[in-house]
Amino acid sequence: MSITMTSGKRARLARVEPLLQGKVLPTERTVEALEAVLLPGDRVALEGNNQKQADFLSRCLAQVDPSVVHNLHMVMSCITRPEHLDLFEASIATTADFAYCGPQSLRVAQLIADGALKVGAIHTYLELYARMYLDLFPQVALIAADQGDAHGNLYTGPNTEDTPVVSETTAFRGGVVIAQVNELVEPGSLPRVDIPGDWVDVVVTADRPYQLEALFTRDPRQIDEVQILMAMIAIRGVYERHEVTSLNHGIGYDTAAIELLLPTYGESLGLRGRICRDWALNPHPTLIPAVESGWVHSVMPFGSEVGMGPYVSSRPDIFPIGPDGTLRSNRMAAQAAGLYATDMFIGSTLQIDADGNSSTVTAGRVSGFGGAPNLGHDPRGRRHSTPAWLGMGTMTTDRGRKLVVQTVQTYGAKGTPHFVESLDAVQAGKDAGLPVPPVMIYGDDITHVVTEEGVAYLYKARDLEERRQAVAWAAGATPLGLARDRRKDDMMRRDGLIASPEDLGVRRTDARRSLLAARSIADLVEWSGGLYEPPSRLRSW
Amino acid sequence: MSPVPIRRAPVTELTARERASRVLDDGTFRELIDPFENMISPHLAPQGITPQSDDGVVVARGAIDGVSAVVLAIEGAFQGGGVGEVGGAKIAGALELALRDAEAGLAIRPVLFLETGGIRLQEANLGLLAIAEIHAAIAALRRHVPVVGVCTGMIGCFGGMGIAAGLCSHLVVTPQARVGLNGPEVIEQEAGIAELDSADRAETWRTVGGEQRVAVGLADMLVPDDAEAVRRAVREIFRAGPIADDRCRSARIEHYRARLAALDPRQPLDGPTLRVLWEDDQEVGS
Repeated sequence: MSITMTSGKRARLARVEPLLQGKVLPTERTVEALEAVLLPGDRVALEGNNQKQADFLSRCLAQVDPSVVHNLHMVMSCITRPEHLDLFEASIATTADFAYCGPQSLRVAQLIADGALKVGAIHTYLELYARMYLDLFPQVALIAADQGDAHGNLYTGPNTEDTPVVSETTAFRGGVVIAQVNELVEPGSLPRVDIPGDWVDVVVTADRPYQLEALFTRDPRQIDEVQILMAMIAIRGVYERHEVTSLNHGIGYDTAAIELLLPTYGESLGLRGRICRDWALNPHPTLIPAVESGWVHSVMPFGSEVGMGPYVSSRPDIFPIGPDGTLRSNRMAAQAAGLYATDMFIGSTLQIDADGNSSTVTAGRVSGFGGAPNLGHDPRGRRHSTPAWLGMGTMTTDRGRKLVVQTVQTYGAKGTPHFVESLDAVQAGKDAGLPVPPVMIYGDDITHVVTEEGVAYLYKARDLEERRQAVAWAAGATPLGLARDRRKDDMMRRDGLIASPEDLGVRRTDARRSLLAARSIADLVEWSGGLYEPPSRLRSW
Repeated sequence: MSPVPIRRAPVTELTARERASRVLDDGTFRELIDPFENMISPHLAPQGITPQSDDGVVVARGAIDGVSAVVLAIEGAFQGGGVGEVGGAKIAGALELALRDAEAGLAIRPVLFLETGGIRLQEANLGLLAIAEIHAAIAALRRHVPVVGVCTGMIGCFGGMGIAAGLCSHLVVTPQARVGLNGPEVIEQEAGIAELDSADRAETWRTVGGEQRVAVGLADMLVPDDAEAVRRAVREIFRAGPIADDRCRSARIEHYRARLAALDPRQPLDGPTLRVLWEDDQEVGS
């Protein structure tokens, strides 16, 4: 042990040492080891986001004796697995700082109401990482990697994601880093070292490979013609008009449709090379046709995507690839790129209110938003200029602005309007006792709303009244849209505040599925030259 | 680098009407009992379901290689292609008229596009009756001419119409097709997820998918998801002419009985294993 090691860390490691061979912990003694290392009230970082999960360690943590380990303060990107909440039900943990809890949002809301879970705060990813460096540094970190060796060196494969930030914030503040690995290999035989061994204290082989979700894959078969129409509207009315070259796409069929229209519709408009060159984006399978058609110059990914490994490795000119030939992702770095280096964020939502505020929180659920609020706002600290950014400037300021675009059909699948007078998030926030309502993107950050009606150019609104008028126009035949003063539509069109498909030169009858560069997962495999290996549940052949 | 978009007309993307039209000689498509005749199911509206003016079945006349043809295409996008009283009667009636032509020595080429979960549950017994008539008509008709079934996906062909597919003298499938008696969702519901996880798409296709069905001899021709390839395959079959009725799959009862008897139901059996056991069974039609 190093002489500079804090006494706290020395004591923790001394307690676990009898279970270890060097740094290697036998799989079956993991629960014991956690009981030895952890102290009541510890701040614990449990690696897990919407893609990769240290699920062996989380399952073991849920089995510790609550009389030994209790009152933990969990710091985690995402609360997604059932046992994450078992921790709170068993009082092993009592406090959580997190960024997203989509799949568990109902149970989280109930645990908050029951007083079993105290929320420190719901952050964006980047905020949470920043706080882990500043004031939420963990005493113990539980992380996941593809391979490890007896020295603690780790190889994370293409899914590096949060592992660097979680281990660094722990290792350099006297904390203990415990890594689950899919496979323990001989020293010197790791394909590359993503986390150096001296940051890692304990390595344990997991009972099964860590959980990995194919969250960013959209099956082109599910894209309908309204989404194709909206994609055409967005390409003409936003991408082409503002010459957007650097961007982030949210997850969803709306943006997948845009990706699949670039090699066909975008090409017919002569836009290749003029838009959509540099991306802060996971390796979306639906981006393959655009990459293969020469649209994409670079992609900086937050994580990887199931089945995309071999394809991504074949394009080191586009993706960050290590000397070993596999992708190196990094969620914190990609969030920073999405915040400061891109000209545009475009994503979908579940509700937009009359002022343009947007949220995916619906009644009874507190989900958090992961990266969306971070990517989807105007960073006023930006100082470099591009035509797209500068074009958002107003008469009164000579600085630019990021494009923040919400694309959403006026009505949802079950006939629920996506445009509402007031967000469900307001009540949900009150019910959960949150200090601020869980708004995903604030109306004054949104520059454009795209619906099947066309584009509302909110950045051109001179006051709140004009913004509300433009939002209501985009809301179409929803109650919010129908209640607007239609006499102002012509004036808004003249002022460039709104544009219909016809105004943009988009023919509604052209919105056919045959316009998609790929219409099935099988087409994507073909585009990739057979390198994309779709997960079993997405294969229909 | 120049863009190389995939230029194909996937047959899975076509409507039933488009499928029927694309398989016929150009310009010969003519629809009988078309949507404007408004022959709709009387059973759906009382159950809160919006009916469709063709009841989800297209009956088309035209020519295949210049020979008179009838194409029956089920629209999978309407009620999962479920066969009800009206749509079922359209198919059965057309097949019976085709049989009358064939018996009178007139040339007729029948083709069925089967995208259906089987009987439309809202019309239970009436759909069942229609399907029985369809079965009888196919069995009688195939003594005279090839009766070509085409399963393209993405709905699949199951239930009573899975039997209809089995009765056809020739069955053309794409890799996206699924053909069987019970659909994967039904198997999971009835026999449990350990028997078949219907959400595991690759497993489903390894069991009842088009490629598998051809590999074990339960379908005859595998064609890509491409309207032109389907058109060519159908023409090829009619050019080759009818096969003896006792060579049709559903007539080879002893053959299949012996095959099934040789399997040990206590041993787990999956698609790839069955392929090895039955790989020599591709003799019909192809």
